[in-house]
Amino acid sequence: MPTSRRTFAVAAIAALVLPLSACGSGGDGGSSTDASGKVEGDITFQTWNLRANFKDYFEGLIADFEKKYPDTHVKWVDQPGEGYADKISADAAGGTLPDVVNVSPDLVAPLAKAGLALDLDKAAGQYEKEYLDGAWASHRIPGMDGTYAFPWYLNTGPLFYNKSLFEKAGLDPEQPPKTYDEVFDAALKIADKTDGDVATLANVPTIEDFGRYGVPLMNKEGTAFAFNDAKGVQLLARYKELYDAKALDPQALTATPESSGKKFLTGAVAMNPGSALDLANFKKQAPNLYENIGITDQITSTGHVNMYVMGLMVNAQSQRKPAAVAFAHYVTDAAHQMSFAKQVAIFPSTAGSLDDPYFTKEDGTDETRVRIAAAKSLKTAVNYTPVLFSEQMKTELRNEVAKALQGKQSPKEALDNAVKACDRLLQQQG
Amino acid sequence: MASPTLTTGTPDARKGGGARRVRRQLPASPWLFAAPGLLITGAFILYPFVSTLVNSLTDRRTLVPGEFVGLANFRELLHDDMFWIGLRNSSLYVLGVVPALVLLPLLLALLVQKNIPGITFFRSAFYTPVVASIVVVGLIWVWLLDERGLVNSLLETLGASPVGFLSDQWLILLSAMGVTVWKGLGYYMIIYLAALANVPRELHEAAAVDGAGAVRRFLTVTVPAVRSTMVLVAALSSVAAFKVFSEVYLMAGPSGGPAGEDTTLVMLVQRTGTGLTGRVGYASAISVVVFAVTVVLMLLVLRADRKEEA
Repeated sequence: MPTSRRTFAVAAIAALVLPLSACGSGGDGGSSTDASGKVEGDITFQTWNLRANFKDYFEGLIADFEKKYPDTHVKWVDQPGEGYADKISADAAGGTLPDVVNVSPDLVAPLAKAGLALDLDKAAGQYEKEYLDGAWASHRIPGMDGTYAFPWYLNTGPLFYNKSLFEKAGLDPEQPPKTYDEVFDAALKIADKTDGDVATLANVPTIEDFGRYGVPLMNKEGTAFAFNDAKGVQLLARYKELYDAKALDPQALTATPESSGKKFLTGAVAMNPGSALDLANFKKQAPNLYENIGITDQITSTGHVNMYVMGLMVNAQSQRKPAAVAFAHYVTDAAHQMSFAKQVAIFPSTAGSLDDPYFTKEDGTDETRVRIAAAKSLKTAVNYTPVLFSEQMKTELRNEVAKALQGKQSPKEALDNAVKACDRLLQQQG
Repeated sequence: MASPTLTTGTPDARKGGGARRVRRQLPASPWLFAAPGLLITGAFILYPFVSTLVNSLTDRRTLVPGEFVGLANFRELLHDDMFWIGLRNSSLYVLGVVPALVLLPLLLALLVQKNIPGITFFRSAFYTPVVASIVVVGLIWVWLLDERGLVNSLLETLGASPVGFLSDQWLILLSAMGVTVWKGLGYYMIIYLAALANVPRELHEAAAVDGAGAVRRFLTVTVPAVRSTMVLVAALSSVAAFKVFSEVYLMAGPSGGPAGEDTTLVMLVQRTGTGLTGRVGYASAISVVVFAVTVVLMLLVLRADRKEEA
């Protein structure tokens, strides 16, 4: 039947052409940054793996907000930690991004570039003074004007170490290493004393390690990576020394934070980064380790520890911008950040909050000791992860580092290749 | 508009004079019945397929629609070391897994074919890995093969040194192949059991009378009788093996083993094309290559079968 064939042909051509029609069409780009007006309407608020432990806190928070603004309704959506970036990218690509989204700075960067994150300098600049300067600046994107998320909670973590393993290696368990060079020396001693049975570190160096070692990560303009300088090469060369001596766990090349945490629990690794939450875990799962647990600051050779920043981004295409901005500010204001900090081991990003007695007064418990030490270090902490450093770039760096550790290429070649690959990805990001 | 056609009953019915009703049938009727299936196929198979083909010709990224770049993505693939590593690993996976999955489930099916007391338990036990979640299976094997896992503890008890099942590039790939074979055995065993049920018992009896032993009967009676099933298993398992993702991802980690040396093509698609900065166009080009290779694999298997038959 000619008619049916023609219809089929038209449908087939339409199927081919429709996807093409998406090509070349830019994003909205014209979304307004005006968030003034009445705070009203339904908004969606998305968090990152918080419902399981903080359901009551957030339901109370939302109820209080709705009481304050009776014409609003907040729908809370919580996404699992695994694949969070993929979930956001699917929503962003599909035009279903929630009005207020829990993000980290590296997630904000591509969203801001795509015109999906509201510029808060323009839409909510009046709130800037309420936050720590560094925290507010953490959601600025190199090459763009503006700030693209409210700073929410900050986090840093102590480094745990196994005192008994230190003792067995003839090291003073009360004087843990503080800088990278001290860690490397201690690690070689432990590996030597245990014939390579106990490693001190279980992960290959990440971009944060390069930052904490004092390596410049990007050029001043933020247009190219720069971690292949002499200091970067020196760091990688020392890691190679550890790998050869089995002071770096042989499975470090394929390790994840979970797998290295497990190795620390079993006593196969002497040091591991963590948070105050881990103490309860040690107590329950590894009582012997808990009795011998040592707690020290993050290793840094710059004097500044690494800080992780969480933020709340407002969707630039939200139909309810006044309500979305008001809610994001409400969740991140000093009072609510403080109350959230008392629920869990995180730290507020609001000005003056870290001077609260909760973060300064000892009560004799390990938890408090960890909290006070972390809060103190946060005052000078740095978010070492460049906001433009994508997941693909992390993989490139990790792969090149692995080749250097295996001796397939020199540390210099590895870092040159990693920088080249990351620069190429940076250019492709536009 | 075409005139409605009249369907007629059988000659007997016509003779019956009204015993059967004559029905009117519109020309669109078959399409109405097929519409739900066509819509689902179009939306979830045809459209994504065409979309992937189109995207492979663009520089589309997750949040940027991109522009038409012709074959640039395919040209870039030729110079991408990771693509060649992925192609090598996916091909090795086919070579390593397919022969095992063609032969071992057949032997297993022969073992559990006999109706002896308690055999149902073994059939179910061998089938259990098939229904288990691949993530759970992967995690269990990771625990078993860890440097301080059960397998290495046993080896150490026997005086051997621990083996880097999860740290050596080739051992990771071999371990993942082992998991794929282990998990697939039961599935293909069921297919073979159905085929073996159709092998005439008389052939075995005749061969036995002629003095053929068990091995000879297997080679001259069983194998020829289930040859078409073996081809089917080879075709299914080779396509599945070339598209392997979960087993290698779980055992080698998200970065694809040391320096990404265990990355397979589908892992590369996932790594390249997902996330907020994903290169959707480039990942689509890799997907098109995966599609082309699987089609070629199917054709090769089917052609080999036809040659055998001739």
